[in-house]
Amino acid sequence: MKLYVPHDTTAVAAGANRVADALRKLPGAEIVRTGSRGAFFLEPLVEVDTPAGRAAYANVQPKQAATLLKKKPTPIAQIPFLAQQTRFTFANAGITDPLDVKAYGFSALDKARGMGPQKLIDEVKTAQLRGRGGAAFPAGIKWQTTKDVQSPVKYVVANADEGDPGTYSDRMIMEGDPFRLIEGMAICARAVGAKKGYVYIRSEYPAAIRRMRAAAVRALEAGMLGPESFELEIFIGAGAYICGEETALLESLEGKRGMVRPKPPFPAIEGLYGKPTVVNNVVTFATVPDIILRGGAWHASMGTEKSKGTMPLQLAGCIKQAGLVEVPFGLTLEEAIYAFGGGLPKGSRFKAVQVGGPLGSVFPEALLKTRICFDEFIKAGGILGHGGIVVFDQRTDMRVLARHYMEFTADESCGKCTPCRVGSTRAKEILDAAVKGEATDEDYALLNELGDTMKSTSLCALGGLAPEPVRTIMQYFGKEFQKRR
Amino acid sequence: MPPLAQVLERCATTPPNILATLQKVQATLGYVPHTAVPEIAHALGVTDSDVAGVLSFYHDLRTEPPGKHTIRFCLGESCLAAGAEKSLAAIEKKLGCELGETTKDKRFTLEKVYCLGNCALSPCAMIGEDVHGRVLPKTLADLLKEYKK
Repeated sequence: MKLYVPHDTTAVAAGANRVADALRKLPGAEIVRTGSRGAFFLEPLVEVDTPAGRAAYANVQPKQAATLLKKKPTPIAQIPFLAQQTRFTFANAGITDPLDVKAYGFSALDKARGMGPQKLIDEVKTAQLRGRGGAAFPAGIKWQTTKDVQSPVKYVVANADEGDPGTYSDRMIMEGDPFRLIEGMAICARAVGAKKGYVYIRSEYPAAIRRMRAAAVRALEAGMLGPESFELEIFIGAGAYICGEETALLESLEGKRGMVRPKPPFPAIEGLYGKPTVVNNVVTFATVPDIILRGGAWHASMGTEKSKGTMPLQLAGCIKQAGLVEVPFGLTLEEAIYAFGGGLPKGSRFKAVQVGGPLGSVFPEALLKTRICFDEFIKAGGILGHGGIVVFDQRTDMRVLARHYMEFTADESCGKCTPCRVGSTRAKEILDAAVKGEATDEDYALLNELGDTMKSTSLCALGGLAPEPVRTIMQYFGKEFQKRR
Repeated sequence: MPPLAQVLERCATTPPNILATLQKVQATLGYVPHTAVPEIAHALGVTDSDVAGVLSFYHDLRTEPPGKHTIRFCLGESCLAAGAEKSLAAIEKKLGCELGETTKDKRFTLEKVYCLGNCALSPCAMIGEDVHGRVLPKTLADLLKEYKK
């Protein structure tokens, strides 16, 4: 009898390895390690096959293993957190063995090999696929740009430096369905005329690194990668948030300090080693196989006017049901937090929510009706970014949180441009004083001015957007800053 | 051949990749001693300052030997929302060292990290390559026991 036990980092942190070891002792048990479905509050989630499909046992502990199968499992379709989702990009996560080439199939790449490069790009354009890493740039335009540059050498790079705290969708793809990323990259390579690619993975993700390396070997053995078609290398980062910025990432990939390059030229024209390079986020690439299989129009039929397809939201912080939620763009923040996240745990009351990571915004309750799509978020004074949603409760001191954001920027600024390097440190000093209740009105005026300067003169999005969480905290929770010692 | 020379022999690529080389040196020696910079630079055909520049840029690269186990304690927003600062204070007290320091017995080095992608189980910490969730003051002692040796 097959027993499916996730091998995902969070599932393992919840005890999945010990559960797998205990279940292995059951007579006739065949343990299949899978990725996670992302319903992390239910991990370790052990599944079995039933005539009506997969069914699960939630929060299994090793000591329950001996008698587990005597209990009735819950059909997956009856777990609302999962049943309410629209899974495409994450369709395999938690279901299959991530390294089973046959189960994956590579049918999109097969199909792509029968299509001309321009046809592939046209499908991505029709799909209106926008980058899921944070900048939401149209992928089709990026691909077209690289395709149109005459160059014997071109590169395809997956940005797997998922640095925004509170996000883990790239990690889940790499751990739970790595072939989908490889397939998306191989299709891109075919479309733009690249023979070599890299996955740049942050070092904080050791399990994803191991899984991606193993997957690259298997894909090569299966003929999905190769020196004639597309070669793939895994490169490991070294703990620098800025390397999630595409030009810093390319510098780092070349082995240099991860310093931002001024744009233009854009990487699509002059990227890695000065060659045309497509840099896309992991989820962006992982969305491509379905677009090729089902057609761009299928993808464009989901979502809102300008945000097409689905978005993997990642719920975290003070929330009952933390986990990954893949849904078409368009639901509200409130629905994400309450209908999927189950609201806050007992004893916690909603105070604020961070959306879009440390370069996003901090929203109060009044903005929970904001619809989740790129444009509505911008209208509300934020960004959707990489889809991280971190909930804070009444115990959060907003001054401490504001200081945290500036400390983060001061730690992670690459130092190339002065507004970001110096601005973040000066702003942190003011917020240090604010935490102590010693900041004056002049200090806050200076903080504002620093924010404006960083915003308008920084070289990249780190310096340009880092003032946003602080600005929105001051805007919505300004009262807390009036407390003086 | 000394270990450093052996590593460097494997790293002579065209063009040279300084970061990948330093990562390999650190994987072998545990850290990248400042004194090794000229030899690394020579092997790669770059300047000392090129190597020193990369070495000082990345949080992962270290120039001092670490403790036996490195604890990377998460201070990302999800962990902060879940009380990471209390856990951190408890761990600092328990180890008798602060962020960026190594315990006197050289068993643990304590560092901060911004997000391990394990946000559903905040607060989190990574010890070696093991990611742990729900690292709370009351569960700390048991967790550290696993890494006593």
